[in-house]
Amino acid sequence: MIATVQQVLEMALGRLTQTVTAFVPPLLAGLAILLSAYLIACLARWLLNHIFKGIALDRFLYRSGISSLLDSSGRLRATRIVSTSAYWVILGAGALTALSAFNTELTTQMVATTVFLFPKLVTAAAILLAGVWLAQYLGRGALVWASNEGIPACRKLAAAVRVVVVFVAVVVAADHLNFARSVFLAAFILLVGGATLAASIAIGFGARGAAERCFEPRRDGELSQAERPVWHHL
Amino acid sequence: MPGNGIPQDSLRRLGELGKADIVVGIPSYNNARTIGHVVRAAQAGLAKYFPQFTSLIVNSDGGSTDGTREAVLAAEVGDERLLMLSTPALPAHRLSLAYHGIPGKGSAFRLVFQIAEALGARACAVADSDLRSITPEWIELLLRPVLYAGYDFVAPYYHRHKYDGTITNSIVYPLTRSLYGLRVRQPIGGDFGVSRAMLRRYLERPDWETDVARYGIDVWMTTIALAEGFRVCQSFLGAKLHDAKDPGADLSAMLHQVVGSVFLLMQEYEPVWRARQGSQPADLFGFRFDVGLDPVAVNLERMLAALARGAQDLAAVWSLALEGETIETLRRLARDAVRDPTAFQLPDELWARIIFDFAGAHRSRPLERAHLLKSLTPLYLGRVASWVIEAEKLMAAEVEERIERLCRCFEEQKPYLLARYAGQPGARPVLSKTAPEARPREEKMEVSP
Repeated sequence: MIATVQQVLEMALGRLTQTVTAFVPPLLAGLAILLSAYLIACLARWLLNHIFKGIALDRFLYRSGISSLLDSSGRLRATRIVSTSAYWVILGAGALTALSAFNTELTTQMVATTVFLFPKLVTAAAILLAGVWLAQYLGRGALVWASNEGIPACRKLAAAVRVVVVFVAVVVAADHLNFARSVFLAAFILLVGGATLAASIAIGFGARGAAERCFEPRRDGELSQAERPVWHHL
Repeated sequence: MPGNGIPQDSLRRLGELGKADIVVGIPSYNNARTIGHVVRAAQAGLAKYFPQFTSLIVNSDGGSTDGTREAVLAAEVGDERLLMLSTPALPAHRLSLAYHGIPGKGSAFRLVFQIAEALGARACAVADSDLRSITPEWIELLLRPVLYAGYDFVAPYYHRHKYDGTITNSIVYPLTRSLYGLRVRQPIGGDFGVSRAMLRRYLERPDWETDVARYGIDVWMTTIALAEGFRVCQSFLGAKLHDAKDPGADLSAMLHQVVGSVFLLMQEYEPVWRARQGSQPADLFGFRFDVGLDPVAVNLERMLAALARGAQDLAAVWSLALEGETIETLRRLARDAVRDPTAFQLPDELWARIIFDFAGAHRSRPLERAHLLKSLTPLYLGRVASWVIEAEKLMAAEVEERIERLCRCFEEQKPYLLARYAGQPGARPVLSKTAPEARPREEKMEVSP
């Protein structure tokens, strides 16, 4: 009896030892890698913050309006973007290397999936960023146009333009990632179809007169009576 | 004779003419009603004041469908005895051609300049086709300083109704003057005289396909002359009476094209205007006299409504150019204007700062330029409303004095522009002294015929 218990205990201890022997070194190695990656990331961030000026990039971000898009104060600096990006890339790479130290089927698959998805994720993020920028640009254009034309609720109109463009960007990004493709596509078709139908009905019934005036070619020498007094004195 | 971009169908006709000393260009688009008078005035002016020169009148047309070109070719001075000439006058040659390229006044001018250059003209004048007040003396006044006094660019100087020419009075004149240091009162007048050297410089430029091809042409011509050191003067032409400006066009586009052109040229000539301080009067030729002017109707209520709408909706766009404090002030002014429209006033300093801020943003945010310029419309209308309220009871001389004050404010605020242009967001405006008295204007030089 005692021998059996001793044998079971020895086997359990052996399994534990085997497990510890098998996993602790990779765990320690992983932690060491992660710690190293963290230190390197912090160092890289510090160095970039102090060395990289990024004046040209700053100018591009400012001129393109991306800095005001990412940070409403519009004072986002290239140095911060580059150093933060470098920090997270190094940390991410360190995390993946740490995971791969375990050399199990699960971790190998996780690393492989991440490496495989990374370019796609970057592309999708770029699509989203471009979409948000375009939405901002078109929304602003719609806002200025509508305000100058005296169209009521022009801010809502601009917001609608922004939402539609961002939604299109999300659909494209999701399609690129092959994520819930049919759901997004169906929603997109419904949205565009609904908007078209609503516009058709509005033009057909509610704004018939306005549409007539809009599509009727303006005769030479003719300004609308409302327009003339405002502009006559230019 | 080089072709230099002149359409083939026109070259043959120019070949027949061979050469011309003077070219008078008249751009047109559906101006059949008024262009005949302009052509007759040009013909009479050339016959009366420059009979010794070979002259050509060129109508550069944008595809009129109302018989404008036929009206040009049919226009006759009539009884030449009325001109009281000592010798029989040879009629000026006339051409009516369709220009190619971007539709607009600038493209029309380009063809005129190409023809003048191809014919070896010593001087060229251009006049708008919708003028009702043009006389033969205008041709003399635009050409004589070039032909006999060595000037390269003759700008017009008119009497205009106090509510007419508000883009000129509120933006282009004060800005051009404060930048380039010469007081050219009508930088976008539309009727100019230019020398051959000036013509060549214009034709060398690569930017004919921009807003210059449209309404930007006038300020473009004036700015190049001012910034590149050509000899510039003004000629007093009397009253400017013309049809409503280019009816059928999107008139708000005029503001954007003109102001956009000023801002673009500011970027090109930054070293020039950074180095210039204050302003000098430009030589003014012609005998000055007072004239009656057509009244101009304005819709104050609508202009203030546009400003209020802009203040409510466009803060996000304005924030690309203006400081938060400025936007807040504008909002307050717009709110107050709704309560009491007659008390509304957009102060000169604030207005100068707005224009300088927009100029800076136009430079630093190239992708947002279109939005920025379009968002200027309600601010411009607000400024016009303020002007209309303030100038309601002013006489002509007081109006000029008031514009002079605005110009001085722009000049005083120039350090603010320099700071904003250098990308300093927190640049402080220059606090002006109390409204200064007008400096006495220098005596103007008269030219003898």
